[in-house]
Order: sequence, then C-alpha cells, then structure tokens
Amino acid sequence: MFPGKICVNNCLFAYRFCWLNRQNSMKRFLTTLALMASIMTQAQNGKAITEKTTFSRTTSVSTTIKADPAIIWKLLTNTSDFPRWNTTVISIDGKIAVGEKIKLKSTLAPKRTFKLKIKEMESQKSLTWGDGQGNRVFTLKMGDNGNTVFNMTEKIGGFMFPMYAKHIPSFDQSFEQFAADLKKEAESIESIKK
Amino acid sequence: MTAEEFNLEFESIAPPLKSYLLRITASVHDAEDIVHDTYLKAVDKLYTFRHESTIKTWLFSIASNLAKDNQKVKKRWTEDVTDICKQEALGNRQFFQEAMQIATTSLHGAFEIKEHIAFCFTCISKSLPLEQQLCIFLKEVYEFKVGEIAVILDLSEAMVKYYLHVGRTKMIQVFDGRCALINKNGVCHQCSELNGIFNPKQKFQEEVMKIEMARDAEIADKEQLFDLRMQILQSLDPFNSGASTLQLHHLEHNRVVMER
Repeated sequence: MFPGKICVNNCLFAYRFCWLNRQNSMKRFLTTLALMASIMTQAQNGKAITEKTTFSRTTSVSTTIKADPAIIWKLLTNTSDFPRWNTTVISIDGKIAVGEKIKLKSTLAPKRTFKLKIKEMESQKSLTWGDGQGNRVFTLKMGDNGNTVFNMTEKIGGFMFPMYAKHIPSFDQSFEQFAADLKKEAESIESIKK
Repeated sequence: MTAEEFNLEFESIAPPLKSYLLRITASVHDAEDIVHDTYLKAVDKLYTFRHESTIKTWLFSIASNLAKDNQKVKKRWTEDVTDICKQEALGNRQFFQEAMQIATTSLHGAFEIKEHIAFCFTCISKSLPLEQQLCIFLKEVYEFKVGEIAVILDLSEAMVKYYLHVGRTKMIQVFDGRCALINKNGVCHQCSELNGIFNPKQKFQEEVMKIEMARDAEIADKEQLFDLRMQILQSLDPFNSGASTLQLHHLEHNRVVMER
C-alpha cells in the first residue's frame, strides 16, 4: 500500500507540476504575442522600434508599399536575387520552403553565417525563419488603395540572453534599410508600364 | 473564324513567331518544328478560340507552351557563352572554313555588326531563367503589353512585371560588364574581332558609329542603352536579314557547344 501511495502522490505532483508549467508557458507565449503585436502596431512608416525585456529583445519595422503583394512575396522568397536589391544582405543560399534551411550572411555581422530554418509560410501573407536564438516574422497585409503593408519583426532571447545581449548590435538601422530597399524595388517593379 | 481566315492570319504572324522561337531555342530546326506544331495545334483547337485575345496572342501562347516544353530538358547557357564558344571556334577549323564560304558565296552571308549585336543578345539571354527570357522578348522585341504577356505565359501581371524587371536588370548588368561597344572597359570585343576577319577593309570605328547604341554609349544611361539594343533586335529578322545565313551558322555552333 505504502509504495503505491507514494506512487500516486508522485503522479499527482508531476501532473500538477506539468499543468503549472504549461500554464506558465502559455502565459509567456501570450505575453510575447501581445508584445510583438504592440510593437508591430507602433512600427510604422519605415521607422524601426525595439523593445527590450530582461530575457528578450524585439525589433520591428513596417512600411506601406505601392505594389502587388505577389511582387513583394517573390522578392522575399527568391534567395539568390536578394543581394541585388537588398543592401543589408550579402548572400542567402538555399531554398525558401517550409522545413528547408538557408544560410544567410548579413552586413550586420559579415563574418557570421546564420543557419536558419524556414518555420512557417503562407503564400503572399507571412513567412517565419529562425534558429535557437529567435525568429524573424515577415507579414504582408492588404492596405488602402491596393497598397500592401509590410512588417518585419524579430524577437531574440532566452534564459541566457542577459549574458550575451550586450554583444548583439542594434537591428534598427538594418531593419529600416531592409524595408526601404524592399519598398524601392517593389515599387519600381510595380511601375513598369502595362 | 473560318479555316481560310485563320490561314491568312497565320501566314502574317508566322515570321515574327518563328524569329521569337529561334531567339528562345537558338535552333533553326526547333524553331521551324515548333511553328509547324503551333499551326497544327491551333487548327485542331480553332473551335475553342473565342476572340478573348487577339489571334496573335493566342498563337504566341500556344508556341510559348511548346517552346517551354522544348527547353525544359535543356540546360540554360551561361553569361560567358561568347567566351566559351570563341575558344571552341578557335580550335575548330571546319567552323571557320564554312563561315568563310558562307561569307563569300551566300546572298545573306555578309558580316554586319548590328546583326552580331542581336545574335549576341540571343545567346546571352539564354543565361536568364526561361520565364525572364520569354518576358523580355515578348515585351521588348515583339512589343506585347504586360496583360497580353500574362495571357501568353499564363502568369499574373505582377509576375510578368517581376520577371521583366529582374531579367532586364540582369541583362543590363551583364552587357555593362562585357560589351566594349557601350563600356570602354568591357571585356568582349568579339564584334570588332569578327568584323576584322570578315570585313578586313572596313574601318570598325566608322562602322560602329553608324549604330545609335554605340554612338550614344557615353551620354545615354544604361536603361536607354538597353532600349537601343532592343531596337536593333526589333529591326532585324534573323531569318531574312543581310547576314542571316552567317549568323545562323554561328548560332548553331554556339548551340552545339553550349548544349552538349
């Protein structure tokens, strides 16, 4: 009986612990979503916004582009063409498709190659890539007068984040440049005479 | 549309269709075959033609699909096609003997710089992804509108614009780096070298100044120079121009080299 009781108690404890843990994870997830949503709303007109917490940093930029979302989507998903129009990217190797991995070299850290996984994709709507340190989410939404609202948000962080946070440069300028390059290229394509 | 009306229309559209297909495939044989197959397919499907587009757009659409099938299994060429093929030609005595014979005996065998510019564009455009190459020829040479190209290639207008822009930008960049006619530091002088071989008494600089693109090289911007290059292609029928036999012989040589 006795060992059995311990076993039942242990099970109850484990269940309770898991439940509490799940509750905490859910809370953290919802807080993150709320934070990202709030930053995405604030980051308009090509100006980047960064919000920091102890364990994370979130940078976001939004801009309105006078172009069909299909054009913007094509620019964002054609890896080999990126360096031609995007001055913040040195190279991207690999294919942008869910589950695939890409190798990205950026002007922000030219000596590093970021190995990123394509985590989510919904054609002409959203794209998420990332690694163990964070995720970058690109979204396209229909704006007024046939315009497209582009947003790019990156959240980096984790329990070890406070230890290396000071070594990570600000993304603001690079994000603003990325959005400006995308806007310029997409609008230039859109303006081709019919 | 009656069969007779269709045949009349087809006759008038066949020459540009054939030159378009030659520029896509770089093969006289394939171009002629596809024109023939386009005719057969169009006759077979004539009852489905509802005048929602022009007959020209419809025929170019059929031909483009056949050309895409034809090109699917063939590898794309590279930007340095003229360098690669020049090296091959230098080691191929038969190629030069045939070329000299064409130049001296054929009615369409004269070497002309303008024709070589068009030939050169055909070769280098084959380094583009096929959709970009098709869009560029349809818009810049055969003067279809974006909406018509969207119908011909079964793409959205946005995608046609994207392929046009990217393909055009790439070609401008390639010719700016290579073509000595528009850039003093360009690495390719093939038209002047060949002019020296086939027209030894001609003064190249005088001849080249008759071509607007070369004349305006220092004052026009890269986009304008590209437009002038496209005007040269528009003005030439690669099957019936003064240098057609010589250029087609040269094109076949390059095709064999690049596709083997």
